Amino acid sequence: MIAVANLYKKIGDVQALDNLSLEAEDGQITGLLGPNGAGKTTCLRTIFGLLKADAGSATINGFDVAKQPIAAKRELGLFPDPFGIYERLTPREYIQYFAELSGLSRQTAADATRQVIVDLQLSEIADRRCKGFSQGQRMKTALAQAIVHRPKNIVLDEPTSGLDVMNTRVLRDVLRRLRNQGHCILFSSHVMQEVASLCDRVVVMANGRVMAVGSPQQLCSQSNKDSLEEAFISLIGTEEGIDA
Amino acid sequence: MTIFWSLLRKELIDAIRDKRSVMAGLYYAILTPVFTAALFMLMIDKFSSVEDVLITMTNVEQAPDLVAHLNREGILHSDDDAKKVAIELIIGAEYGRQMNRGEPAEVILIADTSNDRVQSSVRRIRGALGQYSSQMSALRLIARGIHPDALRPLNVQLQDRATAESKGGMFIGMVVLLTLLAVFIAGMNLAIDTSAGERERHSLALLLSHPIGLRQLILAKVGAVSVFGMAGLVLVVSMSKLVYPLVPWQQFGFSIHIGIDFILAAVLVCIPVAVLAASMQLFVSFMAKSFKEAQTYITFVMFVPMVLSYAVTFDVATDQLRWAPVTGQLQALIDLMKGQSTPLLALGVSCLSTLALSIALVLGMERLLKSEKTIFGL
Repeated sequence: MIAVANLYKKIGDVQALDNLSLEAEDGQITGLLGPNGAGKTTCLRTIFGLLKADAGSATINGFDVAKQPIAAKRELGLFPDPFGIYERLTPREYIQYFAELSGLSRQTAADATRQVIVDLQLSEIADRRCKGFSQGQRMKTALAQAIVHRPKNIVLDEPTSGLDVMNTRVLRDVLRRLRNQGHCILFSSHVMQEVASLCDRVVVMANGRVMAVGSPQQLCSQSNKDSLEEAFISLIGTEEGIDA
Repeated sequence: MTIFWSLLRKELIDAIRDKRSVMAGLYYAILTPVFTAALFMLMIDKFSSVEDVLITMTNVEQAPDLVAHLNREGILHSDDDAKKVAIELIIGAEYGRQMNRGEPAEVILIADTSNDRVQSSVRRIRGALGQYSSQMSALRLIARGIHPDALRPLNVQLQDRATAESKGGMFIGMVVLLTLLAVFIAGMNLAIDTSAGERERHSLALLLSHPIGLRQLILAKVGAVSVFGMAGLVLVVSMSKLVYPLVPWQQFGFSIHIGIDFILAAVLVCIPVAVLAASMQLFVSFMAKSFKEAQTYITFVMFVPMVLSYAVTFDVATDQLRWAPVTGQLQALIDLMKGQSTPLLALGVSCLSTLALSIALVLGMERLLKSEKTIFGL
């Protein structure tokens, strides 16, 4: 469970987060939907303790990121954008490295890596160096890195950007499976379809603030529109920065 | 601690697979001793033979014996303006007569001694003239039945205690400096790759999102770069041990001998230098916004050991610099190669101050990496 309460963050002259509060429950996929520049990435970076909020707090399973960063980060898995792949390592080395950094012992990390490679059907490329990988192969490697240590909470920043249909489906299936296992999944996106098809709960964000919260259906009925896209536009009041 | 080893292992695996990082160290370590040895071989001529001094001599027919003596000493008359030094030796018109009578015979030397080259030649000519003069006086005394020792109340003997090694001071200093620089050069590219490069590849933010201590991460990076620096050093001394024996040292009057004791001492003494080099290079590369910018900054880091070691080579504040980082280790190694003893207290203080400076830089990096600006290169 991830909870963000009354976050304020100014970057340069821009008020990137403006009294932002949201929650992502266990066993649910929560989508953070907003136009480009809405503050989605800033919000996620604050959850990971990479940015310090000017005011407010972010807690993961009850651990405050600012006060107990190590304990809080142990409960998290991050699928970043861009992926941050080490091109000279193989996926197996890469995944195991981050598993160890997440606190698993060397042996446990090796076992968990073997398992996640099977789960994500990475076996074919697992021992090739990442240099020259396709976007889909990179995505799978990054996803494996995010879930190898079986964190209760998984955060994904724009996970489908640059992916083809097949890979997007693979990603969705994995996320649904993780949700059914009771994980808390929070992802940011500016792609409407992705959010509509995947999310149990949508948090609509603009200008660093939450504009609306609810299931896709709830958001539609709330704004008296038929599609989430129409609902979204009427909620944030502009079409700018949205991909259909 | 386990996490530290995971970090260090990954840094090293990643670095060894990076051709650019490995090559940077390898080229320097292999080529430097080869080039230095080649340079020594080219310099042999300068060292072994003394060049003739060509000057203008006038009225030589008056003093054939003196001129023959000068010629034996390598002082010759020449009409070629391009080759001769601006010195004129005029033998007095009365020379022959004065000599026969036993009067002081006139010899005039005209030169501009403000010119360095002229000055050393004048010194040589005066030495040769003085020698001839005392030979003549000895002969005259003998002719009068007096032992020539009567004119030699002092018997000055210079016992030169310089060893073959200490004579080549400047060159030994140069060789030791080139060895020590390996520590700075071998890890340079890795330092950039693992800091500015890491951020450019967007993996720094991912790393910092994991439950690891910032200090562990920095120490692992410093450790990996130091290991590369030390590998460069070991390679350079090993290569030197192979290549330097090929130089014909007997023609130089000194020799550069790389023994096992020197190799061990160099490795031991350079460990703190390698840690300092790694910390400095990582610190400046973390401050840089990109790989390219880091390459520029890191050149300035190279300046530090260079300037300090020039101070040692040209003997500026040498005693004070024995206590300082880098120069302390440099001087200790020069002493060892010259076969002289080195003050161990100063070396100890120098090593401790080197480590203290490294710790300060690590703490500085910790501050840097807490800043959002550094993490995201804003």
